Amino acid sequence: MTRPSRRRVLLVAVTAVALAASACGRDSENAGPQQGEEVAEGKASGEITVWAMGTEGEKLSVLADDFMKENPDAKVTVTPVPWDGAHNKLAAAIAGQETPDVTMLGTTWVGEFAKTGALDVVPPDFVREADFFPGAWDTGVVDGTSYSVPWYVETRLLYVNKAVAEKAGITEAPKTWDDLKQAVKDMQAKGGAKWGTYLQPGQMGAWQTVMPFVWQNGGDIHDGSKFTLDSPQAVEALEYYKSFYDEGLSTKDRLREGETEPKVLSGEIASFVSGPWHIGLLNELGGEGKYDLWPMPGGSGEFTSFIGGSNMSVFKNTKNRDAAWKFVSYLMRPEVQVKWYQTVSDLPSVQAAWDDETLAGDAQLKVFGDQLDKAKAPPSIPTWEQIAAGVDTELEKVAKGASSAADAAKAMQAQATSIGTGG
Amino acid sequence: MPEVRDRTVPSDPAAGSAVEPGPRPPARARRTTGWLTGWGFALPFAVLFLVFTAGPVLASLVMSLSDLRSADLLDPFGVDVVGLDNYVRLFSDEKFLTAAGNTAVFVVVGVPLTMALSLLVALGLNSGLIRFRTLFRVGYYLPVVTSIVAISVVWRFVLQPDTGLANEILGFFGVDGPNWLNNETFALPTLIVMGAWRNLGFGMVIFLAGLQAIPKDLYEAATIDGAKRFAQFRYLTLPMLRPTMLFVAVITTIGYVQFFEEPFVMTQGGPLDSTLSMAYATYNQFGFGNYGYASAMGYVLFVVVVLLSIAWFKLLRNDVDD
Amino acid sequence: MTDTTTRTVPRPAVARLRSRDRIAKAVLYVLLFGGLLVVVGPFLWMLLSSFKPEGEIRADPPTWWPNDPTFANYGNLFDRLDFPTYFTNSAVVAVLTTVGNLLFCSAAGYALAKLPFAGKKALFGIVLGTLMVPSIVTMVPLFVLTSNLGLVNTLAGLILPYLAQAFGVFLMRQFILSIPDDLLEAARMDAASELRIFWQIVLPLCRPALATLGILTFLASWNNFLWPLVAATGEETYTLPVALALYAIGQNRTEYDILLAGAVVVVLPVLIVFILLQRHFVRGIATTGLK
Repeated sequence: MTRPSRRRVLLVAVTAVALAASACGRDSENAGPQQGEEVAEGKASGEITVWAMGTEGEKLSVLADDFMKENPDAKVTVTPVPWDGAHNKLAAAIAGQETPDVTMLGTTWVGEFAKTGALDVVPPDFVREADFFPGAWDTGVVDGTSYSVPWYVETRLLYVNKAVAEKAGITEAPKTWDDLKQAVKDMQAKGGAKWGTYLQPGQMGAWQTVMPFVWQNGGDIHDGSKFTLDSPQAVEALEYYKSFYDEGLSTKDRLREGETEPKVLSGEIASFVSGPWHIGLLNELGGEGKYDLWPMPGGSGEFTSFIGGSNMSVFKNTKNRDAAWKFVSYLMRPEVQVKWYQTVSDLPSVQAAWDDETLAGDAQLKVFGDQLDKAKAPPSIPTWEQIAAGVDTELEKVAKGASSAADAAKAMQAQATSIGTGG
Repeated sequence: MPEVRDRTVPSDPAAGSAVEPGPRPPARARRTTGWLTGWGFALPFAVLFLVFTAGPVLASLVMSLSDLRSADLLDPFGVDVVGLDNYVRLFSDEKFLTAAGNTAVFVVVGVPLTMALSLLVALGLNSGLIRFRTLFRVGYYLPVVTSIVAISVVWRFVLQPDTGLANEILGFFGVDGPNWLNNETFALPTLIVMGAWRNLGFGMVIFLAGLQAIPKDLYEAATIDGAKRFAQFRYLTLPMLRPTMLFVAVITTIGYVQFFEEPFVMTQGGPLDSTLSMAYATYNQFGFGNYGYASAMGYVLFVVVVLLSIAWFKLLRNDVDD
Repeated sequence: MTDTTTRTVPRPAVARLRSRDRIAKAVLYVLLFGGLLVVVGPFLWMLLSSFKPEGEIRADPPTWWPNDPTFANYGNLFDRLDFPTYFTNSAVVAVLTTVGNLLFCSAAGYALAKLPFAGKKALFGIVLGTLMVPSIVTMVPLFVLTSNLGLVNTLAGLILPYLAQAFGVFLMRQFILSIPDDLLEAARMDAASELRIFWQIVLPLCRPALATLGILTFLASWNNFLWPLVAATGEETYTLPVALALYAIGQNRTEYDILLAGAVVVVLPVLIVFILLQRHFVRGIATTGLK
């Protein structure tokens, strides 16, 4: 990327903002993959401040207490942060150098915050890549350097109304795109559903529904050197997505939060794609036992789904680095991950935790566990959220018939290329 | 800051009242102490304001001339000055232009609508009602304080295409109502009505206060003169209410140029960007970490509001006979 | 408009006016009650739904009256939140912010409306100008400033940036403009100090305006979300809206039970402030009568 003139901002004169202006120009060169420094042996000590969002923030003190029992000289303070606004809060904290030692990060934020240079590099001997689901580990890797460790994960499956599927004569989950299409058609025609499925018709977050189609078809978002959103595989995936609307199998109207579940349980909508949290949402509405979970179908042999969740990172300016990493690595122990599942129902990112009977013995969870082996995340680049927003806009056009699959793919590719990877 | 505005500041608010201007002591000494007392009154405010409001605003203005992104947050001064590049880019940003069009419609239709509704309610509540007065005042203020989530749930229910109250009422008159929030033509007008509904309580409160500032004896004099109610309103209430109207107009304009919450909770800017607002686009750019660019968007909003406010100051200046 | 007719009007005319008045009033009440139905709907739903279990809140179509009223949402709310802390923080911030604005903005508004001083136009221009800059634009610079003043994670850091707001000065200036100059000049002739004029003449006349400013500032401060979230780096300085967002809005779902119960609890103080202050929407003294 070329940049215009490199004069520095002469802010000093104008600031009521009394920040010491140690302007050192922009670091544009990429240092290449880095290795984290070692962490000393022994027990953790001293203060460790941790930010965690939402329910995780509310309940993390449970694990922190256990950790402090094991490390009596350490004191962990957890500050729960609302999801709403958390991104702003982190950005401001980095600018004002008011960051905690450890923070939880949404998987798609890692690229952006890693680029600020505020995150410490993961010590490789201390937190081992091989322990984690590969798709999850990749969310923490930016330009070959690991800045963040996956803490819990989620992936997407098809939720299907059992009664409708039975009425349509479907006995097992479809394996291919064609099978899935047929099943959706049958559920609408024979099963009595108004809509055979619900695929989000564009707008915020729709890429999470559609990119798996691209992956299933052997395509990708970025091939390491350039974006590939207009590859033949991607166009085909968009056409597949589009066909659900063209054939009247999914509504083109966006359903708002809370609208989907009652419609699925009543059989108005036969199926939809979502993550593990919908188990709880459906069950609260009395849906227990009324739905099935189907893994993702394969396009050209892949059965890929989306992987999300949250990671843990340590800030570079921590005064207690070793203890901070010790706390993070504690959270990644299989038995602690199982306890965490029992506490807040977050799915473990560490593969070994899935061998525990708590998870292995649950049929619904098993479908998620199997899917996690074949789940992928978007590239961890700082510009991803912006590129994704552009993708979502194009997807809405595709779903509503305002754009063809090929045109939309071209537009996505052009936008993504002009935004760049933020390097 | 533009100086134009100052010429149009109402100079003699008491014009139109029956009062003769009193004699003013012109002594020079008086003027100097006037300066001192003037600043004496303004100083506590001015200091706090300059440090905590004007300072960050200035910094953000400089930010809009730079290419600051979230990747630069650790070293905000190490960025490059790009001059007006961000501003130039804005005018070829299709999303932003769409958003600007939507915002213009929202403001042009929404501001007068909201002001008219608030004024009507305020006049109604101010017309000598004794019973239920507090109930009405509180009631009409409720949309301002009701949780936006509750508002969105109820409105969405009312606007449901098949079963919603809105379309059932239309159906009663034989009209087949549209799918309000998912239709590119109707989504924005729907949000305008919702905006007016949510904000009329705000204007009402200020108009209510403003109406109290009109001396009662003026009305009594007008009644004796046999002035009809409408004439009373047209020639007495409206002119006397001008400073208040100016305030409501400017504040409502600021709020509506920055309209955000309604599309955020109801439509996420859709369908097909038909309800995307400038403030929403700005919010998104902040989310993407493009601080320089986002600030430039913020300042385009600023310029729009300044221009509209100048228009308001001209329109509502206090000469009764213009 | 007003319910006063004067005795100088002949009797039949009075009777005619009276009966027309009565009809007009009846129509007005009908209209106002009709409007009331339209404006209170969502609030009522919020209130009623705060007594429903989550499943019923999310039912499609929504219900009005709770099938099985429960206080569980409130119990849950008070159990999970450190309510006293957040409430105290919110109250301290909102009350001090309100008092500060009433004081500073009315004084500055008086100066801007009625006193001649150098730089007056510039000050008013800057005040109005900043009012028009979207607040999210200044968030990062303001945080850096607050951090450098050592005010991050203190209540002062939540209050000071909002203690003197452009909105309040603009409001007070507009209202004070409509106070006749003669009234003030008369007092000046009696050698009253400006402070006394401000305190004894201007402020009493401004009661409706001060009430308005109080209502609006309290509401804005009480509901403020983004700044208290950003400026509080520890839970001990969280305000109610921040805490509620934490518990109610998850990564992938909203917990409507907590959200609605919280919304009701949060709105109560705002309504109390409104009800208390709206009493001051009464006519000031009949200004033109004083000479």
